[in-house]
Amino acid sequence: MKAFSFEYKRGTTIIHKLDPRSKFIYTILFTALTVYFVNPLILFLVFLSSVPMVIIAGIGKRWLRSIRGSLFFIAFIFIFNLVGNFWTTGSIADAIIMSISMSLRFIALISIFSAFFLTTSPEDLTQSMVQLKIPYDYALTFNMAMRFVPTLSREAQIIMDAQRSRGLELEKGNIFQRVKNYIPVLIPLIISSFRRAELVADAMESRAFGANKRRTSLYVLTMDRRDLLFISCSLAAFLAILSLKIMLGIQ
Amino acid sequence: MVSCRSFEDVKELIVFEDVSYSYAPGRYAIEHINLSIEKGEVVAILGENGAGKTTLIKHINGLLKPQHGSVIVSGMNTKDTTVATLARYVGLVFQNPDHQLFAETVEKELMFALINFNFQKEEIPRRVEWALKEFGLIEYKDRPPFLLSGGERKRLALASVLCYDPQIVILDEPTTGQDYRQKLHLASLIKKLNSEGKTVVVVTHDIEFAADFIPRAVIMSKGRIIADGKSEELLTNRELLMSASLLPPQLVELSWDLALNPPTIHFDEVVSSVKKLLGGKKS
Ligand SMILES: Nc1ncnc2c1ncn2[C@@H]1O[C@H](COP(=O)(O)OP(=O)(O)OP(=O)(O)O)[C@@H](O)[C@H]1O
Ligand SMILES: [Mg+2]
Repeated sequence: MKAFSFEYKRGTTIIHKLDPRSKFIYTILFTALTVYFVNPLILFLVFLSSVPMVIIAGIGKRWLRSIRGSLFFIAFIFIFNLVGNFWTTGSIADAIIMSISMSLRFIALISIFSAFFLTTSPEDLTQSMVQLKIPYDYALTFNMAMRFVPTLSREAQIIMDAQRSRGLELEKGNIFQRVKNYIPVLIPLIISSFRRAELVADAMESRAFGANKRRTSLYVLTMDRRDLLFISCSLAAFLAILSLKIMLGIQ
Repeated sequence: MVSCRSFEDVKELIVFEDVSYSYAPGRYAIEHINLSIEKGEVVAILGENGAGKTTLIKHINGLLKPQHGSVIVSGMNTKDTTVATLARYVGLVFQNPDHQLFAETVEKELMFALINFNFQKEEIPRRVEWALKEFGLIEYKDRPPFLLSGGERKRLALASVLCYDPQIVILDEPTTGQDYRQKLHLASLIKKLNSEGKTVVVVTHDIEFAADFIPRAVIMSKGRIIADGKSEELLTNRELLMSASLLPPQLVELSWDLALNPPTIHFDEVVSSVKKLLGGKKS
């Protein structure tokens, strides 16, 4: 549960201060690259592109934690691809290269998204979505969903503790039994989420949410020279990597 | 080493030996806890928000294993014992009932633990019946737990643990959201459990409740136990209460104001002192 809690913490580095839209452009461009290429070296380059951001932003520890937390999935992806590709191609070398690529692709994605979410405050993200003309309702829904992920995972832990105290053994039985074991955990989790959603809705309405069609913003995000520099660098790196395909024919 | 001493053999039922636990590196939620609770005792654990009370009691049924030191419950080291084994002896009722109620009806909710602990088929309805009566839930038997009021849900959560008759009962904040009648009911329930030889640990902010009904108090602050002793001594100690951010019981404040010596948490002692004071003035 901890693995994907891209929990934002306030920071004062350049990366933190960049406009979310600039970081978003980087995220989109490099996500596209991870999907486009299968060559392990290129995927490794894409992964490396996020490292300077992580270092400058000083989020190394939490970034490492996201990656470490996803090791299980990476192992799964690796083995799955290894078996699958060996089955279809019959070549162990090809299968290994393919599995490495797929694992690298996943690591690169995790790394890029960590760099984005760990340095972007939910408020700024919402604001930038609004400035990108996304309807405020959707922007806010997204923001709240992000914000409640850590709350939800902590709550799941408490509920598991409460049910284990009443003799529930989650690891007991065969695979079907085990899935069933989670029902006493999932139901309170869902219900308390609904309860919370209702509470939040009431609290928002009682503060006149949605009373006015036209919202004004206290803070307006602006792009400055740093943003332009960052976007240019991202674009240049993106084009450079892309040109490898055209010039060298790398897949 | 597996210890198979039976439940009755042990006098010191719950023993904490220099226990520390931290959720995140660098900050201990509880630190150097030494505590011993004997069979048949009733103990209140008091302390400010975040003092570590919930963390401490989660060690008793093994939900948390000490990172340093050891916890021995009825002769069993919690490190070598599963939660399911300990939970049969240690009934822990959580702060928030919404974290455990899940069944379609109140009745099924009460059956959950009984089924988990493999109670006999004939035994289950009897215990459910007892719990429904004891906690005034009979009329709600077939209702979904989520439609009960906050206080009723709290009572149901309590009932769903007490119905399997654990030897040690641990209650986290049982009085929040309960009206006075329910508090009195809770107090008499604790008394009854105790008279059956059960050991009861109550975590609470309700200092009046502790003063009125619980003879021993353990006061925590910032992850440590700062005092452990008789309620009537600790709860009349001004400096101690201040340092644990606890509001003194009203009777104690009254006895301070009247300069009674010694101050007391017992209503009749205050009354007789006041009578003496009044009498003294007349003569
Ligand atoms: N799951 C958790 N993860 C991280 N920190 C935690 C967790 N649970 C508790 N803590 C921290 O440990 C400390 C002790 O918490 P604990 O819940 O034991 O306090 P408490 O005495 O029960 O407080 P309260 O009276 O508010 O219930 C607090 O600082 C709390 O923030
Ligand atoms: Mg607590």
